[in-house]
Parts: sequence; structure tokens; C-alpha cells
Amino acid sequence: MSLYEKVIKKPWPYWVGGILLALLNISLLITTGSAWSITTGLLYWAAAIAERLGIRPGEWYYFNFYEYGLKEGQTFLYNSYTVLNIAIILGALLAVLCAKEFKWKKVKNFKQFCFALGGGIIMGYGTRLSFGCNIGAYFSAIPSFSLQGWVFALFMFVGAWIGSKILFKFIL
Amino acid sequence: MTSSKIEELKRQRQLEQRKRGNQKPYAILLAAFIVVIYLAFTHYNLRFSSYWLIGILIGITMQRSRFCFCASFRDPIMVGSTSLLKAIILALFISTIGFFIIQYKAILANPNFAIHDIPGHLHPVGIHTALGAVLFGIGMVVAGGCASGVLVRIGEGYMMQMVVLVGFLIGTFLGARHFVFWDRLLVSKSTTVYFPNYIGLFPSLFLQLVLLAALYFIADWYDKRNNIMTTV
Amino acid sequence: MSEYRLDCLFEACPIPLLKALKQLEKMKIGEVLILHTDHNCSITNVVEWTKKQGHYIDYIEISEGEWEIYIEKAK
Repeated sequence: MSLYEKVIKKPWPYWVGGILLALLNISLLITTGSAWSITTGLLYWAAAIAERLGIRPGEWYYFNFYEYGLKEGQTFLYNSYTVLNIAIILGALLAVLCAKEFKWKKVKNFKQFCFALGGGIIMGYGTRLSFGCNIGAYFSAIPSFSLQGWVFALFMFVGAWIGSKILFKFIL
Repeated sequence: MTSSKIEELKRQRQLEQRKRGNQKPYAILLAAFIVVIYLAFTHYNLRFSSYWLIGILIGITMQRSRFCFCASFRDPIMVGSTSLLKAIILALFISTIGFFIIQYKAILANPNFAIHDIPGHLHPVGIHTALGAVLFGIGMVVAGGCASGVLVRIGEGYMMQMVVLVGFLIGTFLGARHFVFWDRLLVSKSTTVYFPNYIGLFPSLFLQLVLLAALYFIADWYDKRNNIMTTV
Repeated sequence: MSEYRLDCLFEACPIPLLKALKQLEKMKIGEVLILHTDHNCSITNVVEWTKKQGHYIDYIEISEGEWEIYIEKAK
């Protein structure tokens, strides 16, 4: 196999990905002082859309009493989380294009659409309760020595178990 | 491992292969765009340039290694395979050491630290965490991906994950809206449990690494045990 | 000896793997399953699981982002 095939085309083993992600998270913390977190950025996007519609989420309790208020020089649309999330999307896109594996994949049917939307809403709601998603409250919280990470991991297993039952019953 | 039958099928298929389009020009265009934005950030906002660069690298890494946090929880339950979970435990092991060093330096520089000064992700823990995690677990299996997986798959061209993203926007929005209720009920009665506050920084490091190593071996044992069984 | 085709285009994790499992259960030794998928998680997790179970497996890419996975039931 040529070098291209070996490095770019063949999938990397999981443990390589694991080590790289760990190093990247550490680099992120060193260079920016904040650990990797995704869903807060999504909340900001939702707030930005809401602002266009006339709602004023900036005045809500949530943003004023916990450190979720915006830092100076940032808005709901232009902030560090947005940069990070868009970079992740583009990075994945670049990897797929280099391996010539990009393909538009449509939504298969209405049932799939409903489960996708419903799953997303439940996930989003859950992240606000536990102060983070699988990245923020798990991948970044456990190395930060926060109990939150371990509790989240344990109950994510419980949730995944329930979800699997639902999957088998309705989707398969 | 292949067999002669499979080799025959493969050979037949390769003869019929369609002409493939070329995606290289798009890749080069995108790479150029990424570099331009990066240089712009180094000029206008140095911190953002780090976010940008690391984000791109995260996207590439997750896509190339087919990393899926959702699958790491779902596969042990559904098919008894823990290879992803082991990779994540390995990642947590390394991150713990790295974060430890960063936190240690921060605490040395500022011995009278308050919890929110410590670098990392530290938040109040309580029943609300468990509740949120259960919701998240159900949602991620049903939607076929978690927060990181959604971003990576949107990059790969999945329209379905864009729907999930919209779901995320709605869900987080509602969650923030209802937060007053949850705060009064559960969150304000809870605290942030930062292990070193109770047992010190070095013991926390040691115990956590030992725990992660133990979990790794348990996951490995579980995986090997499931090789003997044939199907679900 | 027959071949079975499974169309798993546009399906998300973990549907291709689960469909393959169910189909393999019903097959006899020596029969071949052809899985047509566009999900790149699948080439990793289906291949890994099948190898662990001891069946023969290989795949080729038939178009950008589309693969056919060939599984021959071995035991």
C-alpha cells in the first residue's frame, strides 16, 4: 500500500484516536485555559437565533447566575465555542474529502427524522441539567478531578441501556 | 481474513466499478480556506486561533479513527464489544495526567484558589447530574450519536445529524429556560465536588489512575469473555 | 449456497451492525452476506465484530463513501 493509502485512506485504530484526543484536550487547556466542551456553544447558537426572533435570553437567570454569561468581546454567535465547533465540523469534512469518502446522506424516512429530532432534544435538555455533554461533563470533567464526570458516566450507561431497549423495540 | 468465495466476489465487483468523481479539488480548497482563517485569527484574536487549529485537528482525528463516544457506551450493551471504551479509558488516563500537571501549576501559582479558578471543567454535582446523564444516554442511542459525533457526522455529509443538531438547539434552549425550576429544586442544594479538596492533589491523581487502569482491565476481560459467545 | 444482500444505505449507527447480526444468525455455514452501507463506522465495527466471531470478512469501496462488506459464515 502506498503512503497515502496507509495514512489517509485506512481508518486509524481507536487507541490512536484516543491518545490524540487526550493530547488535544490537554493542549486546549494549556493554550486557552478552558477544557473542551461542545453543548454550551450549541446553546449560544440557539440563543443567537432567539435574539433574532425578539426573545432576549441574555437576561435569563441561567446566563447571569452561573458562569455561563458571555465573556467580553463575544456575542452569542461569535465566541470561542462557535470557533471550536465549526472547526471540528470542517476538520471532519477535510478528512473525509482527503480520503475521497464524502457523500451526502439523506434522511431515510419520517420515522428516522422523528427519532433524530427527539433524541437531539432529549440530549440537549439533559446537558443543561448536568452542566455539559459527553465531552464537557465526561471527557473533560473526569480528568479535572470532578465527581460530576464519574456520576455522568455511570448514569449515561443507564440511559444507554434504556435507549437500547427502545432501539430494539421500535427502530430495528 | 477472507475466503476464496469472498475474493471471487470482490474481483467481480471491481470489474463493474463506476468511474469515481474527484474530491481532491474540494479538499485543497477547504484546506486553503482553513489556513486563511487560521492566519486571520493569529492576527486579530490569538486565542481563537488555538481554538480553530485544535478544533480542526479534533475533527480530523475523530473522523479518521471512527471515534464515537455513543458507541463506546452502546456497544458493550448491545454486542459485548469494548474496544472503543478501552480507547476512551486510555484517553482519560492520559488526560488525567496532563490536567493534573496544569492544575498543579495553577494551584502553586495561586494557593488560595476558588473552585472556579481551577482550569478544567468543574461544576456542581447532584441528582440533577444523574438525571441529565440518563436523558443524555437515552437520547444519544436513539439519535445515533452524541454531541461530538453529531459535529463530525455533519462534516461527513449526514443530513440526519443536522436534524439532531436542531434538536440540540431546541433542547438546550428549553433546558436553559427551565433552569430556574431545576435550580430551586436540585442544583442550588448541591456543591462542586473537587476531589483534591478532600484528599489532596497527589492522592487524587494516584487513585484516579488506579481506578482507570482497573476499569481498562475489566473492559478487556468483558470483551474477551464475549468472544466465546456467538451471537447476541 | 446462496448470497444475501442487505441494503443499509442512509442508516445510522448501529443499524448496519444489528441488521448484519440478525441476518447472520439465520444463515447456514458457507453462505455469504453482502452488506451495502455508506456508514464508515460500519466498516470498523462490523469488521471487528465479525472477525472476533471467527467468520471470514472483507470489504471494498464501490463509490465515494459507499462500501460493500462481504461476510462468509464460518461456524
